[in-house]
Amino acid sequence: MTSIALIGNPNTGKTTLFNSLTDKYAVVGNWTGVTVDKKVGTLKHSAIQVVDLPGAYSLNPLTKDEAVVAKYLLNDQPDLILNITNASQLKRNLLLTIEVLERGLPLILILNMIDDLRRSGQSYDLVLISQRLGCKVLTTNARGHQGIKELRQQIINYQEVPAPQLRLNYPPMLQQAIRQAAEALEADFNYSPAVARWLAIQFIDQNKAIREYAAVHQLTPLTSQVRYYDAQQFADQIYNTRLAFIEDLLHDAEQHAAQGDSSQLTGKIDKVVTNPILGLPIFAGIFYLMFKLSFEWVGTPLSDALDWFLSVPVSNTVDHWLLQLGAMAPLRSLIVNGLIAGVGGVLAFIPQIFTLFACISLLEDSGYMARAALVTDRLMQMIGLNGKSFIPLIIGFGCNVTGIMAARTIEQPKERLVTTLIMPFMSCSARLPIYGLVVAAFFPHHQALVVLSIYFLGIVVALLVAKLYQVLFQVKERSVFIIELPEYHLPRFDVIWHGTWDKGKGFIKKAGTIIFAGTVLIWLLSSFGPTGFVTDSTRSFAAALGRGLVPFFRPLGIVQWQAISALFTGILAKEVITSSMMVMFHTSSKAVLIAALGQFMNPVAAYSLLAFVLLYIPCFATLATIKEETGSFKWVLFAVVSGLTIAYCTSFLIFQIGSLIF
Amino acid sequence: MINHQYILQSFSCLSRPTASRLHNMGLCEGCPIKVIQRYPFHGPVIIENNHQRIGIRYQDFAALTEVDA
Repeated sequence: MTSIALIGNPNTGKTTLFNSLTDKYAVVGNWTGVTVDKKVGTLKHSAIQVVDLPGAYSLNPLTKDEAVVAKYLLNDQPDLILNITNASQLKRNLLLTIEVLERGLPLILILNMIDDLRRSGQSYDLVLISQRLGCKVLTTNARGHQGIKELRQQIINYQEVPAPQLRLNYPPMLQQAIRQAAEALEADFNYSPAVARWLAIQFIDQNKAIREYAAVHQLTPLTSQVRYYDAQQFADQIYNTRLAFIEDLLHDAEQHAAQGDSSQLTGKIDKVVTNPILGLPIFAGIFYLMFKLSFEWVGTPLSDALDWFLSVPVSNTVDHWLLQLGAMAPLRSLIVNGLIAGVGGVLAFIPQIFTLFACISLLEDSGYMARAALVTDRLMQMIGLNGKSFIPLIIGFGCNVTGIMAARTIEQPKERLVTTLIMPFMSCSARLPIYGLVVAAFFPHHQALVVLSIYFLGIVVALLVAKLYQVLFQVKERSVFIIELPEYHLPRFDVIWHGTWDKGKGFIKKAGTIIFAGTVLIWLLSSFGPTGFVTDSTRSFAAALGRGLVPFFRPLGIVQWQAISALFTGILAKEVITSSMMVMFHTSSKAVLIAALGQFMNPVAAYSLLAFVLLYIPCFATLATIKEETGSFKWVLFAVVSGLTIAYCTSFLIFQIGSLIF
Repeated sequence: MINHQYILQSFSCLSRPTASRLHNMGLCEGCPIKVIQRYPFHGPVIIENNHQRIGIRYQDFAALTEVDA
């Protein structure tokens, strides 16, 4: 099958271009905990496969994300590479281009965001760039859908794109070292001339991934010379030669037109949002607004309407049909009280969750996220992390699994581990349905504030635990914090919709799989008891299990067997807590459940329950991702035990102290 | 000082990953940079070079511009 790979620096609009080119795509690996590393889609109206690789500054990987790109070029043979660059920052973008060109695969260089460049009053002689680099050059503005048609045409005619023949004039000694190593690799290991030369250059350039590869495959022509290469400081010479080549090229190709003022807008916004004093309050304000939108102004009214629709017309109609068809009582109970109540109860939260995701996508798309990382860096430094941990933690609000994956952009391994381990304390969207129920039942007039306080509790616990880990793991290595602040963009509806759908579709998919399964499980547990099918759920297995655990939960104020059984099934996926409640209370209406809950507990116990849900054992998908990313079951076990302990202690304190005060 | 121009002096005091990341971003010894923003309590510094804005830590900034600062 024909495959095309997208390679480029971060913030070059790669994903936007990918979305314009493809019509359907799958994230490789998703909820099952398989590593998410590249997106694979199909070019619209064709069978050509398009692979979107993570953004990388260089093929020498500092982060796990960049390692994916290096390994892809090492092990795969795409038919065409699209190298996406930010036209306004060609100097640094071309450093990666040269590395990729040296691999010798057919390549089209794409100068994206060409409108930004034009606005700044600059332009380049594309013919000259194409001649010097020995590859095709195209310009696009992916956000404005300009140049996409022509690019598509080029992709379809990929067989006409020639393989590049770029050979930089490295200094003679270095040139000789490259030639000798490449010849030996060709002769002894059967590499093609282009791959052998590329391997030699990358090895000499101290590329970690290539050096590991050479050690594993015992590429002795390279490994035997490593000391010589490093002693001669060949890596520095490679960098200097490349940079000089690029500076010459850009100097000759640059065509000044009128004086522009592209970065004025960015400069003006940055003066306010990255202000040393206002930066943090603005950050907090933006998040408050996000929660107001999701839980009061937009999300909640829509959720309530959807809930009414599912619990009244849908539930009644289905029940009516089943009666007409003469369905048996257990089957009717399974469908109406089990599936519609359980899965529907979770689906009713889609508007709130999608509103929150839309806000996060808006922040990502506008360019604000990098600023948020910057203004929080000093705070994060105090707990041994850096501002870059902040972005994955925010993404963790959507889903812990994607948050942990996003931590791959953190350079320092111990900081990455700590970020991964504190991720479960970030309150993911799956926990929202149960918060929504509890706050509606106990804190009807302060819903947004109470939910926000739970989110903050999660953040505070995460920060404290991170500080503890910093001491325990003895993080002493100097951390790397270099963050690019991209130009601000006016948000575009289609980009935000794509981002929202990307994050939210997993939630809908889960409703059809794991939540469905969890609902059936809890229906079985609550509809069958030692005596067989029971209509009174107090005589069911779920009641027996819940009652058995009451002594353990009593100090936290949680004494209802329904809540305890629901917490138990919640380990499957946090949404299942809500569907379990719906099933066990035999209702498909949120309003009925809210009224029922209100009689069971007092507000202090309810808050203690919220804190417990926030902090206890992570869901299966998160545990699987922790295993995948840390490579060890030890950390999975650690996450389970630490989560449970911290949740128990926090809820204990909240309930005991709260009971004394209120 | 804000809006002050500096010349990057030496990469030798930086940790290896930091130095190589700055190299990847096209910054090298002798490059001119402009300071756009500084944060209190030795917080990060925003620098501008070649139309790109980059946030770096104060310690790295100080090491890079030692002679000037």
